[in-house]
Amino acid sequence: MAAITEAKAGNILTLNNVEVVYDYVSLAIKGVSLAVPQGGMVALLGANGAGKSTTLKSISGLLAAERGEVRRGEVAFQGQPINALMPQDRVRLGIAHVLEGRRVFEHLTPDENLIAASAVRSRHDAARNKDRVYSYFPRLFERRGSAAGYLSGGEQQMLAIGRALMTQPKLLMLDEPSLGLAPFLVAEIFQILSRINREDGLSVLLVEQNAIAALEIVSHGYLIESGRIVMHDTAEALKRNPDIQEFYLGGAENKNFRDIKHYRRRKRWLT
Amino acid sequence: MLFRQAGILHTNYAQDRALFPIPADRWMIGGLLLLAATAPLYLNSLYLSSYLLPWLVWTAAALGLNLILGWAGQFHLGYAAVMGIGAYAAVHAQRAGVPWEIAIVLAGLTAAVIGSVFAFAALRVKGLYLALSTLALQFVMDWTISHVPAISGGTQATLQAPDIRLLGQAVTSDAGLYYVALVWCVLVTTFMLNLRRTALGRALVAVREKDYAAAVIGVNSFYFKLVAFATSSFIAGVSGAVLIGTFYHAVTPEQFSVDVSIQALAMVIVGGLGSIIGSYFGAGFILLMPGAMNSFISWLTGLFGFSLGIETLAHLPHALYGALIIGFLLLEPLGLGKIYGNVRDYLLVWPFGYVKK
Amino acid sequence: MDILLLLESALNGALVGLMYSLVAMGIVLIYKSSSVPNLAQGAMVMLAGYVILAFANQLHLPIWAAIPLGIVTMFVIGIGIERVALRRLAGRPIIMILMMTLGIEIFLRAGSMTIWGGTSRPLPIGISDSPLFLGPLLINRAYAVGAGVAVVMFVLLVLFFRTRIGVVLRAISDDYTAAWSVGISVERGVALSWAISAVVATIAAVLWGSVQGVDQSLALLLLKGVTVAVLGGLDSIGGALLAGILLGIVEGTASVVLDPLLGGASRELVDAAMLILTIMLRPHGLFGRHDIERV
Ligand SMILES: Nc1ncnc2c1ncn2[C@@H]1O[C@H](COP(=O)(O)OP(=O)(O)OP(=O)(O)O)[C@@H](O)[C@H]1O
Ligand SMILES: [Mg+2]
Repeated sequence: MAAITEAKAGNILTLNNVEVVYDYVSLAIKGVSLAVPQGGMVALLGANGAGKSTTLKSISGLLAAERGEVRRGEVAFQGQPINALMPQDRVRLGIAHVLEGRRVFEHLTPDENLIAASAVRSRHDAARNKDRVYSYFPRLFERRGSAAGYLSGGEQQMLAIGRALMTQPKLLMLDEPSLGLAPFLVAEIFQILSRINREDGLSVLLVEQNAIAALEIVSHGYLIESGRIVMHDTAEALKRNPDIQEFYLGGAENKNFRDIKHYRRRKRWLT
Repeated sequence: MLFRQAGILHTNYAQDRALFPIPADRWMIGGLLLLAATAPLYLNSLYLSSYLLPWLVWTAAALGLNLILGWAGQFHLGYAAVMGIGAYAAVHAQRAGVPWEIAIVLAGLTAAVIGSVFAFAALRVKGLYLALSTLALQFVMDWTISHVPAISGGTQATLQAPDIRLLGQAVTSDAGLYYVALVWCVLVTTFMLNLRRTALGRALVAVREKDYAAAVIGVNSFYFKLVAFATSSFIAGVSGAVLIGTFYHAVTPEQFSVDVSIQALAMVIVGGLGSIIGSYFGAGFILLMPGAMNSFISWLTGLFGFSLGIETLAHLPHALYGALIIGFLLLEPLGLGKIYGNVRDYLLVWPFGYVKK
Repeated sequence: MDILLLLESALNGALVGLMYSLVAMGIVLIYKSSSVPNLAQGAMVMLAGYVILAFANQLHLPIWAAIPLGIVTMFVIGIGIERVALRRLAGRPIIMILMMTLGIEIFLRAGSMTIWGGTSRPLPIGISDSPLFLGPLLINRAYAVGAGVAVVMFVLLVLFFRTRIGVVLRAISDDYTAAWSVGISVERGVALSWAISAVVATIAAVLWGSVQGVDQSLALLLLKGVTVAVLGGLDSIGGALLAGILLGIVEGTASVVLDPLLGGASRELVDAAMLILTIMLRPHGLFGRHDIERV
């Protein structure tokens, strides 16, 4: 485990003991540390309410919109602490956040969605980026004239990703892109993600509950549980890990509830 | 200090649910009531009838608005119109020979019935749309009052109010009128204090927080909104009638225009949404502010030896009043009542401030 | 009933209605970007009128110079209002926000009168008093000009919302968290919409000021503006335009029919009734979006 984290120099993003409180009282994540290597693909897995989205928001700075704040710890991007930056400044640095549940601009067309997302880039770059997004997602190009609210779920997810790509990110963070999509669509979207990662060297932090699909494309994964990172390993090792298989990959049907509780207790022990 | 005590020990539920669990509060309320009751003895009648009296009546009115706005969470931009309905109802009843005691009850009932029209708006829409529809209703009622001669008293537009008679006894002295206002204000305050402890009060708060959630736990929000509007309209109507009977002595449509509605809203906001003591502060603040501001300005102009135009003097207090509303919303959205609460909480344990931490 | 008189009132009503749309468009602009219902729009019109008069009368500038200066001044004031008063209220209950805009309304209205006094002053912009003739129908020339400007303003706004900045503003009104996530500076966008709205208010001030003079009554345009904005659907610029025409026609014809019956002044009643009816029957207006607060 230690061997992997120690690639410090080559990390585009590092979180060091980050603690987030909402409404000044409720502690949502309790000292999360993780790293995304330059040009790497990393998954952040965990159950509902574990704190995955909160972690991403602490990186993109969107906590402010929900009365949350990073109370302790440091978020560093390319070696620089970014805790104090406004969301738009982080986007300018190259951090893109695809929100959970797609959240496209429903009353705008896909074309306008992409234009709106290029606010921090020049007009010239915007035109170039738009062509690139359409080349990744030809289906968006076909539907570029109709209101985004009427697109199918898969198309909306593509649009949300395309929108993030319009900001010319160095790090792309995706919050449950597979939510509510048919498996073949998930596969298609993940294919494109790894293609962008390969071709452009875009670093990716992927939050997923669909661990099977996620572990296919990432090199490493973190497991978060009630606001704490409880496991970190290569994707291969995680896929083989019996606990992961049980609880996130849906193996071992015959386990009963007591074993689950037992597992949870054991997990706490480890951390 | 006044409030200091080591802790609160309750040995039964009645104690816990008492209106004023802290003895110092009880003493203070008693003292204030005594002061209020003896005010005519030590205040000259100018202060009594032009400051204290309108303050008490407006406090009662503000409490009624607070019931809707602060507790039931329903915006009401037509409150003055409802007060106006009560005022006109009472004056007409009196002129028809109805004794004043009954006239003000009639005023309250008329206002409650017509005011419930606002409730029907509230049952369909909320938030912004409720605010706008109540504003529109205010205009409709203004218009109706001033354009129907049978109500406004025809072309002269000012309707003299007959003197108040209680139990056949004419009440015309400043002290007498003051007591009428005092009794009404105390009545409304007592009602509001107790409302907090009833199922109705709790249901209203539930409806304010989330009406569909309230519906899920079995609170019939339809019914409670209706009751809230009717009750507050009743208070508004009687307050309007008392205001005319004890203060204005004549009624005109302008006394209950949309500006007055906004003024009532300002009282509640400045005083603090849902705060009873805040309604006292808010009403006092908004009523006294223009006068105080005028004296302050003339003091300033005297001090620096410049003079302001009449127009400037006429409009400046109004502008400052707008600025005050803005300032309160920015700095202490919960109003004077909250500031009072903070001071009180501090004094409660003073000088052992660490007790709270 | 004289059919010609009715037609004439309807036609002039439609033109006046288009001038109401100018006030309504300001409300819609702000509501679209930040969901703040600006009850101070009427007061902003009034302030703009006084500002232009200050440039024209106190600094003795010709009117064609005073108007652009007024526009620039109001642009800055619009940004200032958002920055000082509204930004900190983001996310607060609607009661607070409404009360804030009411506070601004009072402050701007009384403040302008404190500085400039309450007497009505003319704002001549060189439109002659003689009516236009359309066949046998008399048309008020000032209304015709005002209506024309309103239509031009509408076209400009529609074009603006197609530009990059305009698209960004629409994105903010759709989903401001998502807007934030792609690097849009939401605060600046909202401030810009206040600024544009203040500019629209200035245009309205010029037209209305030339018709009825500059005084407190300009602030009363709020009721018309709100009625038109709600009728059109609060977040639809085009809706504001059409609703303005509709309200104007209804008002114009209703005053011909009702005034003799009710003894005059039926316009306010018609406005209020339209507002109530719209909210009760069709809260999202004629062209508004569906996401509406309903019980
Ligand atoms: N805006 C908020 N205010 C208060 N608490 C919040 C807020 N958002 C999230 N939380 C709390 O923080 C914790 C972590 O939430 P988070 O959304 O990060 O979980 P998640 O891992 O993304 O879950 P899911 O898989 O369901 O999306 C939860 O307990 C949640 O209740
Ligand atoms: Mg999540």
